[in-house]
Amino acid sequence: MSSQLDADKWVNEYGDMLYRFALPRVNDKEVAKDLVQETFLAAWRNYDNYKGEISEKNWLFTILKNKIIDYYRKASTRLTESLSGADDGDSFFDEDSHWAKRAYPQDWNIDYNQPIERKEFYEVLNKCRQKLKDIQNAVFTMKYLDGLDSEQICKELNLTASNYWVLIHRAKLQLRSCLEKNWFTS
Amino acid sequence: MISCKEATDFITKKEESKLSLWQCFQLWKHLAVCTFCRLFAKQNNILAKNTPHLHKYIEDSLSAAEKQSMVEVLSGLH
Repeated sequence: MSSQLDADKWVNEYGDMLYRFALPRVNDKEVAKDLVQETFLAAWRNYDNYKGEISEKNWLFTILKNKIIDYYRKASTRLTESLSGADDGDSFFDEDSHWAKRAYPQDWNIDYNQPIERKEFYEVLNKCRQKLKDIQNAVFTMKYLDGLDSEQICKELNLTASNYWVLIHRAKLQLRSCLEKNWFTS
Repeated sequence: MISCKEATDFITKKEESKLSLWQCFQLWKHLAVCTFCRLFAKQNNILAKNTPHLHKYIEDSLSAAEKQSMVEVLSGLH
């Protein structure tokens, strides 16, 4: 009976917190929910090993972070196909590697020094991120949400530096273009 | 003169201070004459500055049914 109570407490106290941490990182509601569920399961099964050195909350977050990294790593095993897509960045440039006419960046007519504190901007950004390949999104997220540098990301995902720069470069080209179409000029 | 493809790549690398002095100079020379890459640089900066705040705008939560099902899965283990 006490386990019933603890399960309730865990899920109600930490469930949303963990979910909101996972969601922007995997950018998929189902995946985020599954990762939270797996986190609770792993914690539940290993509760005997929990020494109480860190708070229960931090312990759960540590488990979740590892689950997210595992999820990213699965995406990085499909790296070859991610790097070979022809429409993946090359389409922004012509045969001389200058901007293709159809891809010329437009002026967004904003103050580029001001932060954009608009919920709608982030909604569009998330929609645009959904069009990225999983591994591009992983690299982008680790860089900007977790503030990791290229060496750390390469180590975590087992990438070479040159693969990393290709992935982040393409992710940015695509996001910039998608934001322009769906936010700044719509 | 470096190409726009190289220039945009350099802009990304510059963010992490991964450009040599010579590459910085090549990028500077390119940006001096290329409006499109200058725009890319500014817009890349917007992306870099605003993305870290993304989590502030996540208001989603698990539904009552989803929570209930998690509780049931956990309780089922004992």
